[in-house]
Amino acid sequence: MSCDDAHCITCGDDGEPERVLAIDEARGLALCQGQDGARESVEIALVAPLTVGDTVLVHAGTALARLTDADVVV
Amino acid sequence: MRYVDEFRDAALGRALAGEILGAVEPGRHVKVMEVCGGHTHSIYKYGVDDLLPENVELVHGPGCPVCVIPMGRVDDGIAIAREPGVILTCFGDMMRVPGSTGTLLEAKAQGADVRMVYSPLDALRIAKANPDREVVFFAIGFETTAPSTALTLKRARAEGVTNFSCFCNHVTIVPPLRALLDSPDLRLDGFIGPGHVCTVVGARPLEFICADYSKPVVVSGFEPVDILQSVLMILRQLADGRSAVENQYRRVVPYEGNLRALEVMAEVFALRPHFEWRGLGFISHSGLKLSDDYAELDAERRFAVPGVRVADPKACQCGEVLKGVIKPFECKVFGSACTPERPIGTCMVSSEGACAAYYNYGRFARERVVV
Repeated sequence: MSCDDAHCITCGDDGEPERVLAIDEARGLALCQGQDGARESVEIALVAPLTVGDTVLVHAGTALARLTDADVVV
Repeated sequence: MRYVDEFRDAALGRALAGEILGAVEPGRHVKVMEVCGGHTHSIYKYGVDDLLPENVELVHGPGCPVCVIPMGRVDDGIAIAREPGVILTCFGDMMRVPGSTGTLLEAKAQGADVRMVYSPLDALRIAKANPDREVVFFAIGFETTAPSTALTLKRARAEGVTNFSCFCNHVTIVPPLRALLDSPDLRLDGFIGPGHVCTVVGARPLEFICADYSKPVVVSGFEPVDILQSVLMILRQLADGRSAVENQYRRVVPYEGNLRALEVMAEVFALRPHFEWRGLGFISHSGLKLSDDYAELDAERRFAVPGVRVADPKACQCGEVLKGVIKPFECKVFGSACTPERPIGTCMVSSEGACAAYYNYGRFARERVVV
């Protein structure tokens, strides 16, 4: 997830598929990993409940959708 | 990653280009607006334009969150950043948007504490790590980003973080689309709908485009094959004489959107009576502010904000570009006085801005055509 000179993905309304690695239900956060291998804490209130291994669409640190299609693999 | 490779497949793209050629009515010039800046970026990056017949024209819409911020709001953000003890946080592209006296990046160089964040949650973390400072999040974006801000404000309240506030510049997509459709400047035949905004609001809010204006809409993904497929779906609707909202991006967008996101936005935000858009002027009910219930987290109530309207530079034609009336290269200052390194207008700032996208990718194609 980058926000460098070339492309600000938040400003660009981009959504990035990320895989859920761990879930902190008490804090409503999940540790997620994107395609580039970078990990970040993601707000999951809009898509909970999740399980480890799920794929979510992340924008601005928030999971907006759970990608249920079995073909979507990060 | 699967589902990316397939949607960048060159053979699929060429096959769709052939189908588009067969679907377009000979002799009819079709103008399709891609609403979202993310689509504009993909169109130029992957050369989607080059795969379309001459009589299918893509017109770039107002859906780049950075590009529609008026100069006065940038000035307000800089004024907040210069308040003693303030840390102003914002997304990367926002730092380079020119106000009347400079950018947030220049304010930072002059001593203001301006920090780039990837999410509102990052801004809240900065607030918690600096309890003796006032941390303000400069919120921009359409309905894609607004839920993230709303959830962070709820979290700030729940965790009792009192040194955090939000300078809210969130906007909504439907009012500017209606304004464009009512504009006499522009004749459009169909719309490529904003995929990630629709992840939140669903496709239903776009139905007015079909019901009131009889134009087809296809909610689209962001890969080149997505966009080509969406153009084809629009052309087929036109050929059939239909106008409906179709969802090409079903692998991500539920037709009804994300109801929880809509609930949290309704709790935290309220519609402003009107909000200024760069180049488009004031549009009724197009901007969000914090609701009265969240007033204590509203930076506009916590700090003295000048709130002065600033006219766009005369040389800048971002308004016409945002409305799709002119192409980026038709602007008087495109590529000369206005470049991504030293932008005059907002459309040259973000890579989703039509001018920056065209400068970075499309200008070479145009040069090729001219030669």
